[in-house]
Amino acid sequence: MSQEPIKLGKRESKLRVDPKWADVCLTCGTCAGGCPVTGVDGMDPRKAVRMAALGLDDELINSRFPWVCTLCGRCERACPMGVEILAMMRKARGLRERDKVPGPIHKGTMMSMERGNNLGIPYDDWLFLLADMSKEMEDEGFPGFYVPVDKVGARVISTVNSKEPFGEPDDMKFWWKIYYAAHESWTVSSENWEGVTWGLFGGDDESMKEQARRVLENGRKVKAEVLLLPE
Amino acid sequence: MNVFELMMEYIKEGRVKIDREKFAGKLATVHDPCNYGRKSEKTFGHGYYDEIRWITDQICDTWVDTYPTRENNFCCGAGGGAWAMPYTNERLYYGRKKAEQIADTGAEIVVAPCHNCRDQIMKGLTKDFDLDIETFYLWELLAESIIVEPWNEEEVEKAHKESEEQWERFGVELEDEDEWTPPE
Repeated sequence: MSQEPIKLGKRESKLRVDPKWADVCLTCGTCAGGCPVTGVDGMDPRKAVRMAALGLDDELINSRFPWVCTLCGRCERACPMGVEILAMMRKARGLRERDKVPGPIHKGTMMSMERGNNLGIPYDDWLFLLADMSKEMEDEGFPGFYVPVDKVGARVISTVNSKEPFGEPDDMKFWWKIYYAAHESWTVSSENWEGVTWGLFGGDDESMKEQARRVLENGRKVKAEVLLLPE
Repeated sequence: MNVFELMMEYIKEGRVKIDREKFAGKLATVHDPCNYGRKSEKTFGHGYYDEIRWITDQICDTWVDTYPTRENNFCCGAGGGAWAMPYTNERLYYGRKKAEQIADTGAEIVVAPCHNCRDQIMKGLTKDFDLDIETFYLWELLAESIIVEPWNEEEVEKAHKESEEQWERFGVELEDEDEWTPPE
């Protein structure tokens, strides 16, 4: 049985891993020893580095390991040779075919691009929720409280984790109470208010940049001094 | 600015007053989220380890660190989007390290400064590893312990005027319960 030899080289490597990594990595296993998912699917960070250095890019990209890994970076922190394991893992995620990205990460990223938040909460529902909850806050002992939306001149503009308005709206009140007590001049945006960048987790740099651009644009529009990302 | 810096600003400038009785007598511990710790340290040259502890210290009388801690701390197991991914068993298996760390401290309160970590610790690990803890967002801990003084009449009036204008501008109308009449 004949098989095409695998060509090694930084240019050939989809993961942009220089074959020199095979030497740089001492295979000491410090990374693997400190990783809580070492052993899952028979994998560990050391093996992932070896696979990449030896040109098994597709095998790594199509395996579950880059997704079972939480990109926590403990392996890289501990590596005595400074091997950039984290960037490689994220690159592997980014090279996964988009329709094969596990769970809602990619769908949410696209939703955010289309509708301004990962969970597709419509504009009208968002505003209604804020108005309704503002009234609730007043009844709960915060007279004068309301959520300022697109307020020009606010000092602080805050993004929102869409899971809160979607499933746990009362959790938004923690920050609201703090703002109230501090007499802060603050605001949220009517559109593109998402604070969770799923492009970071899916390895989607373009969407990540676009989301950051929108958030900054919202901040500039209201001339805020402080952009808060409570994530 | 991130959440720590803003909270610290409010506390240091005396813009929020803390009632230390709120969590008195309860042992707390803190969790270091990977994104604020290791990754921030690598990307921006500063890991937010001290800030989490300083804020917790303003609110709680007694707190202890987990072991290992700070840059060597364990991930909760739900990072990198794992909370949303379909690999539930792997996520909980990953979290056993965090669960052990928390259990070893004997703490009743776990302070999690990140949405993902809070969900994993509160909704994943607590049940699966039978932990006897309450989990708080760091800003939840602050919100629950601040002494809120209602605004004065002038401020309230001004806010009412602004909010009325705002909701009218956006065309948001709340149903007024008093005026609601049942359909015939």
